Amino acid sequence: MKTYHDIASDGGSDVIGQVTAQRARLEDRLSLVDHVVAVMSGKGGVGKSTITFVLAEALAERAWCVGIVDADINGPSIAQMTGVRTHVPVLTPGGVMPPENREGIRVMSMDLFLAQEAAPVLWEASTQDEAYTWRPMVEMGALRELIADTEWGPLDVLLVDLPPGADRLPNLASLLPRLSGVVVVTGPTSVSQVAVERSIGMASRVARVPVIGLVENMSAYICPACGAAELLDSNVGDAEALATRHGVPFLGHVPFDRNLALAADTGEPFLERYAGSMAGRAIIDISRKVARFLTR
Amino acid sequence: MSLREARGPFEGTMSIVFACTSCGHSTAMLTNKAETQMVRSLGVAIGGRTKEAAPMEMLRSRLQGRRETPIAESARMGSKCPFTGVVAQAFAGGGQGMQWSEGATARLNRIPAFVRPSVQRSVEDYARRNGLTEINTSVMDAVKGNLGM
Ligand SMILES: Nc1ncnc2c1ncn2[C@@H]1O[C@H](COP(=O)(O)OP(=O)(O)OP(=O)(O)O)[C@@H](O)[C@H]1O
Ligand SMILES: [Mg+2]
Repeated sequence: MKTYHDIASDGGSDVIGQVTAQRARLEDRLSLVDHVVAVMSGKGGVGKSTITFVLAEALAERAWCVGIVDADINGPSIAQMTGVRTHVPVLTPGGVMPPENREGIRVMSMDLFLAQEAAPVLWEASTQDEAYTWRPMVEMGALRELIADTEWGPLDVLLVDLPPGADRLPNLASLLPRLSGVVVVTGPTSVSQVAVERSIGMASRVARVPVIGLVENMSAYICPACGAAELLDSNVGDAEALATRHGVPFLGHVPFDRNLALAADTGEPFLERYAGSMAGRAIIDISRKVARFLTR
Repeated sequence: MSLREARGPFEGTMSIVFACTSCGHSTAMLTNKAETQMVRSLGVAIGGRTKEAAPMEMLRSRLQGRRETPIAESARMGSKCPFTGVVAQAFAGGGQGMQWSEGATARLNRIPAFVRPSVQRSVEDYARRNGLTEINTSVMDAVKGNLGM
C-alpha cells in the first residue's frame, strides 16, 4: 500500500490548475464589464451600502448598465436595499442570472443564499473553531463565486459594496486586479475621518487602486417638514479639507434624509421619487463625477 | 478499481479504500486534516476535477442555514471521480454527489414534487449513516417503513 510520502505530486488534485481555472473564469466574466468600482470606508455604519445603492440608481438613470455585488459576506444588505431579497436567481448555461430591481440594477449577494435574515453566516467544517481558522479564505472563495458565477452580461459598471474596514480593499484588489477605482465614504465625525485617512493610504499605497473620491455622508439633517438643512456636526467641511490634503477629489456631501433611510429599508428606489431633494441632487452630482472619472 | 469503504470524516480526516475488481488488491487514500480544510477552503475539488466547477458550488454546498433552493432549476452535481464524490458528499451533508440508481431515481420522481426534496434528504441521510454511497431501490425499500412511501 502506498503511503502519504510516496505521493510525489498533489495526488492528482492539481490544486494549482484548479486555482488557475478559477482565475480564468473570473477574468472571462469580467471581460464584459467595463469598470469595477469598490465602495469602502474605514468604519462601519457610515453608509457604504446606502451610497452604493443610490450611486447605482443614479448611474442606471444615466442609462448605464449597472451591477452590484455585495462583498459584505457576513453583513449583506444590498439585496434588501434594492428590494430583491426574496428573488430566486436562476441557473442558465452561462451562469446564475442575478435578480434585477425595478431600475434594472443586477444584484448578487450572500443574502440570496441565506434562509434566515438574522442567522449568522457559518460554513461547514468538522468544528466551528476550525471553520474560523479558514474563514477568510472561504469568504474570498464565496466572493469569487458571487462575481465569477453570476451571469452579469455586459455591464458598464460593477459596484462592489465592501464590508467595513480598510483592510478589505487589498484583499479585493488581489482577487480583482482590474479594479478601476474606489469611492471612500465617511461620516461627519472626526473619528470616522481618521479611519478615512487610513483608507486612502490603504487604497493608494497598499492596494494601488485609484481613489475616485471621497463622499461625506449624513453630514446634515434635512427637516422632513420644511426641507431646511441643519448641520449634524461641527466637523462638517473637514472631509473636504481632508480630501484636498491627500490629493483626492471630494465628491460631495449627502445629508441625512429620512426618505433615503426608508427607501433603503423597504427596497424602494430612492431617486425615482426624490431626485429633486437635497440628498437626491447630491447623489446625482456624485454619480456625474464618478461617471466622468470612469470615462475620462 | 471500485470503492470499498469510506471512513470519516473523523475530526477532519477521512480514509477511503479502493479495491481492484479482479484481484481484490486494495489501496487506501488518507486525507490530512489541515490539508483537507485548506484545499476545501480554496474551493478546489480533492482528487482533481473531471468536470468544470458548478456555478456557486461552494456557496451551494458549504454554507450552513442556506435556503432550500437558493438557485432555481439547479442541475444535479456529480463527479466521475469516486474520491471527489465521496469527500464532497461526506462533508456536504446535503447529499450532493450521492449517486442514485436509475430505478431509485424513477421511484423518487413518482413522489409528489413538494415532498420530494425532504424524502430525498431522508433517504440520503439514511444512506450516509449506513456508509452507503449509492442509492438503489433496495435502499429505498429499507427506509420505506419510516417514511410511509
Ligand atoms: N444619507 C442617509 N440618510 C439617511 N439614512 C442613511 C443615510 N446613509 C445611511 N443611512 C442609514 O444608516 C444606516 C447604515 O447605513 P449603511 O448600512 O449603508 O452603512 P454601511 O457603511 O454599509 O454599514 P456596514 O459597515 O455595516 O456595512 C442604514 O440604516 C441606512 O439606511
Ligand atoms: Mg454595508
